[in-house]
Amino acid sequence: MASVYIPVQNSEEEVRVALDQLPRDASDILDILKAEQAPLDLWLIIAREYFKQGKIDQFRQILEEGSSPEIDDYYADVRYERIAILNALGAYYSYLGKIETKQREKEEHFILATQYYNKASRIDMHEPSTWVGKGQLLLAKGEVEQASAAFKIVLDGDRDNVPALLGQACVEFNRGRYSDSLELYKRVLQVYPNCPAAVRLGIGLCRYKLGQFEKAQQAFERVLQLDPENVEALVALAIMDLRTNEAGGIRKGMVKMQKAFEIYPYCAMALNYLANHFFFTGQHFLVEQLTETALAVTNHGPTKSHSYYNLARSYHSKGDYDKAGVYYMASVKEVNKPHEFVFPYYGLGQVQIKLGDYKSALSNFEKVLEVYPDNCETLKALGHIYVQLGQTDKGQDFLRRATKIDPRDAQAFLELGELLIVSDTGAALDAFKTARTLFKKGSQEVPIELLNNIGVLQFERGDFELAQQTFKEALGDGIWLSFINQEHKSSIDAATSTLQFKDTQLFHDLENNGHNVEVAWDKVTVLFNLARLLEQLNESGTASILYRLILFKYPDYIDAYLRLAAIAKARNNILLSIELVNDALKVNDKCPNALSMLGELELKNDDWVKAKETLRAASEATDGKDSYATLSLGNWNYFAAVRNEKRNPKLEATHLEKAKELYTRVLIQHSANLYAANGAGVVLAEKGHFDVSKDIFTQVQEAASGSVFVQMPDVWINLAHVYFAQGNFALAVKMYQNCLRKFYYNTDSQILLYLARTHYEAEQWQDCIKTLLRAIHLAPSNYTLRFDAGVAMQKFSASTLQKAKRTADEVRTTVAELQNAVRIFSQLSAASNLHIHGFDEKKIDTHVGYCNHLLSAARVHLEAAEREEQQVRQRQELARQVALAEEARRKAEEQRKYQMERRKQEDELKRVQQQEEHFRRVKEQWKSSSHSKRRERSDDEDGGTSEKKRRKGGKRRKKDKHSKSRDDQEETEADMMDEQEMEDEEADINYREEPQTRMNDDAVENAQGLLAAAGLEDSDAEDEMAAPSSTLGRRRQALSESEEDEPLHRQSSPVRENSAEMQLSDGEIRDGEKTNGDDASD
Amino acid sequence: MKLGGIKSVENAHDDSVWAVTWVPATAIRPPLLLTGSLDETVRLWRSDDLILERTNTGHCLGVASVAAHPLGSIAASSSLDSFVRVFDVDSNTTLATLEAPPSEVWQMRFDPKGAILAVAGGGSASVKLWDTSTWELIATLSIPRQEGPKPTDKSGSKKFVLSVAWSPDGKRLACGSMDGTISVFDVPRAKFLHHLEGHFMPVRSLVYSPYDPRLLFTASDDGNVHMYDAEGKALVGTMSGHASWVLCVDVSPDGAAIATGSSDRSVRLWDLSMRASVQTMSNHTDQVWGVAFRPPGGNDVRSGRLASVSDDKSVSLYDYS
Repeated sequence: MASVYIPVQNSEEEVRVALDQLPRDASDILDILKAEQAPLDLWLIIAREYFKQGKIDQFRQILEEGSSPEIDDYYADVRYERIAILNALGAYYSYLGKIETKQREKEEHFILATQYYNKASRIDMHEPSTWVGKGQLLLAKGEVEQASAAFKIVLDGDRDNVPALLGQACVEFNRGRYSDSLELYKRVLQVYPNCPAAVRLGIGLCRYKLGQFEKAQQAFERVLQLDPENVEALVALAIMDLRTNEAGGIRKGMVKMQKAFEIYPYCAMALNYLANHFFFTGQHFLVEQLTETALAVTNHGPTKSHSYYNLARSYHSKGDYDKAGVYYMASVKEVNKPHEFVFPYYGLGQVQIKLGDYKSALSNFEKVLEVYPDNCETLKALGHIYVQLGQTDKGQDFLRRATKIDPRDAQAFLELGELLIVSDTGAALDAFKTARTLFKKGSQEVPIELLNNIGVLQFERGDFELAQQTFKEALGDGIWLSFINQEHKSSIDAATSTLQFKDTQLFHDLENNGHNVEVAWDKVTVLFNLARLLEQLNESGTASILYRLILFKYPDYIDAYLRLAAIAKARNNILLSIELVNDALKVNDKCPNALSMLGELELKNDDWVKAKETLRAASEATDGKDSYATLSLGNWNYFAAVRNEKRNPKLEATHLEKAKELYTRVLIQHSANLYAANGAGVVLAEKGHFDVSKDIFTQVQEAASGSVFVQMPDVWINLAHVYFAQGNFALAVKMYQNCLRKFYYNTDSQILLYLARTHYEAEQWQDCIKTLLRAIHLAPSNYTLRFDAGVAMQKFSASTLQKAKRTADEVRTTVAELQNAVRIFSQLSAASNLHIHGFDEKKIDTHVGYCNHLLSAARVHLEAAEREEQQVRQRQELARQVALAEEARRKAEEQRKYQMERRKQEDELKRVQQQEEHFRRVKEQWKSSSHSKRRERSDDEDGGTSEKKRRKGGKRRKKDKHSKSRDDQEETEADMMDEQEMEDEEADINYREEPQTRMNDDAVENAQGLLAAAGLEDSDAEDEMAAPSSTLGRRRQALSESEEDEPLHRQSSPVRENSAEMQLSDGEIRDGEKTNGDDASD
Repeated sequence: MKLGGIKSVENAHDDSVWAVTWVPATAIRPPLLLTGSLDETVRLWRSDDLILERTNTGHCLGVASVAAHPLGSIAASSSLDSFVRVFDVDSNTTLATLEAPPSEVWQMRFDPKGAILAVAGGGSASVKLWDTSTWELIATLSIPRQEGPKPTDKSGSKKFVLSVAWSPDGKRLACGSMDGTISVFDVPRAKFLHHLEGHFMPVRSLVYSPYDPRLLFTASDDGNVHMYDAEGKALVGTMSGHASWVLCVDVSPDGAAIATGSSDRSVRLWDLSMRASVQTMSNHTDQVWGVAFRPPGGNDVRSGRLASVSDDKSVSLYDYS
């Protein structure tokens, strides 16, 4: 056992002090030391021994005594030992300062240390150990440059001064010059091979920093060989083990960490790592303790940040987001640059998302993304935030990037899909499908929700078969299969046939028969969707069973009740439907959907007041936020405004106003609500703002196309109504027809009625009648349609008879139609005894009377027409003959002219003969030449006639054309005549909604019609009388002109002649034959 | 069990074709197809080539129903003006013109023995029975007023009769009405028996199974075909699948299948043993107003034929096997 010998003063004896048996009270030793005036190096040895034994107070007591002024006086010449004592104290206080966490004490320690070193320096300026000490102190204070200067002073004097070398190495390490630092450590090792383990620790750390992990490990291991309790080396090795990221490595690492903790429980690094470990094992209590300790013992920013991070994570995982947020924030504050330690930003971002602070979360995640630009999780988080902030496009971008970076991340595709559902269902479906494929590839189970979403999207796109497959895949095996595949045929038949939509006997029976009637909770939605799909596929029977299965297991599933009610409603079983809705209301009497539906059913049952109350309740149940209820109320008001009975203009206006207000309210809440827009459009149209309403309807129509869930035939009809109101009948007809075909399979008699009405207004009588007949065929019990058909026939007949010109066939059809009308009206009249369908027998009789009147008039017309037809035929025959005669006459004329000319020539010839008798010699020659000339002439004449004939043909064609256009003209004239009537008729058109008023209007119309018919007949007659005479006159005039002109210009200017003929044809009015006839009479 | 298209005549009529029936074969000629249309004509077609045999005119307003006597010599056609024209199939001579004002005329059917022509009387809430030898009205089968809670209700209290069907033994007659109820009558005693419930929308067509005098198939606007035990007042099955109104139903001569035509433009074949739709023909482009299986008889008894007519003006013929 080591011991020191204190020489006893003035003797040869020595006091032996066993170093391991130093007295507890240092004063004993001090007394001896002072009494014997022991050399100062002994003081130091003993103090150091105390220090080694951890008896710090004794250590300090001895050294403080050893540096007291008395000693200075007494040992004034013993310089080195005094310096050593001072330096030891300086080093001691440096150390205290270094480990002290409280700033004030820290400063005080450093001040003390500085004082001791300065004192040592005063003894000897050049003592290297003092400089080393000073350097260490400066290092501890973080003043790296000054420390380096201090070490340099020493090394300049002695380049192998080990402590200075170590100090300098430390400086270089702190400066980040790891290779320089490594060189210095190596030199220390060369100079002093038996140096303490710490030197090798430095080497290890340098190598670690330089990335030479194996050598670093070797170094650390060597440290541990030399000093098995070296905490730093243990921690370093542990970290390296942990870095391997393998189970074995991590375990080894943790064992080392634990050992380090046991050796020295205040190493922050070890504490952090341990906390980290316990975080993952879920021992949050330990995490908190460890990190709190770590925070208490360190001042080192990054380490603290790490500790806060651990703490925050712990709270985060426990769900204490507020605390977690605070600690993440603290952790972030300790980090200078996100690049150094980015995790707390991520955590902070997550917590902020949870707390709803998306903007802050956004900036934090963006910082993470700067460090890891390709981190999928961060991209997804950012995507999520942007969606929450309403910037869907950006959100999609981020998620797309995430899926691009890791195209095998099923979760990312799933999220992307969920995001896209709102905006782009097609893309959403693709994303979901990719996710499904990825799940399948990874042989993971595809989440039911995912399949459900795919199914719904396919459903929405109208891919019903695919959707069905998907839903079935999601459902897997279960009792429902037997319903879908209709295995238990007999029992199902019984179930459907009882029509008891609430019947669950079927399931009880199945259970009793040992079938497992179970529906897992996560499959209910899928089952419901499948049932909904089956409904769409018109398999309402199977759908009803599935809904009932859901209700059998989950009696609170309101939607299933409502769907059952909807099926019943579709079958027009209103009472059952109401019952089912009431069942739903039993589950939740505030359910707005159920209330809304009940309201609608009550409306269907003609229970207006009740319906309004129910709808109000629905609206109140959602604080007026449920658009459907508000809309329904709006509709209620609209219908109330335009309802059949007892029109009150004041009430009508208030109802319309109210309706508008309600629609607007919905639109304010949901600017994209198609139905509200449609309603608003209707109200506007009702007020006559057709242009605005047309715009609205067109937009709604565009928006409504594309999803199977949005079926808005109403808007088509409304648009057609607007076209109709604006007089654009052709478009209205097209719109009605398209609507009828597209949405109603041509089964809606009401739209047919609209169509008929449009035809009526457009005066397309036959189309109107045919359309009404179709409507009657579809809705045989609607007697109003028959009445309308009768009116249309009557109108058709009247208008035909009013025509200035019609063929006998037309009149014949008219008579037939009038007979039909009479029959229809008399049938109605007969039926009105039996039925209550809103017809007054008298009114019908008026119609019958009018029709009969028309009929008798028509008979006269018919006779006249037939007579005229006959005449026309005769005239035609006559004209043909006249044409032939004229031709003959013309030929004769030509012949005559020719003859005359010939005679003239002959006369002239004679004269010439007479005058120049003395040219007898050449007489023969003359004769022959004139002959040839004559022949030429005659040829010319012939050509002229044929040309004329051709021209005549052309003329006739032109006339035909013209007569056609004249027909049109006549029609328009007839229209003009009708116009006053039309105004009356307009009221007539309203009759669809209003049988009562209609009757009155009709009566008025009838009266007027009778008058008009009478009056018109006269005008007709006049027309007929006047027209031919005047035209004849004009014709004659024109003809005489032309006859005068013709010979004059015939040969000279054929062009003029043509123009003359144009005039001629303009003048012409009827058939050419007639003209010729007149001509002939001339 | 399947249908195979044989021939389709586009523009068989000038307008919607609303009615179809087969005129059974006689000693001198094979069965003929009889169609009626909105164009006011009745046309006779020879199968399988669907050659137009004759066009009968004389009706005003659309022809809504045609019926053929089981012996094949007489047929009846009716139009929306509620006249029934009874004519000799081969000569087209008018045998009788029937009307029973104020009763309208909707569907008509000869009874299996050919002694009575039953006419659905629309708003008169009755079926009129005409003697086919004297052409006199022999009975009016009226549907009794139901004890309704609201007697003034416009539609509720009255049964608007649209369709009629004879049981194969001729003892029962069923008629379908606008409100979906079906009324069953005992014909020999001219007595109303009971209602069959289950439909709540118009029943435009119904037919008894040729082998089971109790089994009745009904087609309704609710899109479903119901199968009733007409005696036991029980609904025995529902067949859904059509996307819109089922306008017509006919049962195959072998009793194993029914065919339906619908507003959804399709003709469906249903296997009665599976109670499921086994085939859907979608050759028509508008509502299918009539389907008719060719009755057995004539030279080629074996080959089953189904005809369908539609608003698209066409007549189609299918092979049923």
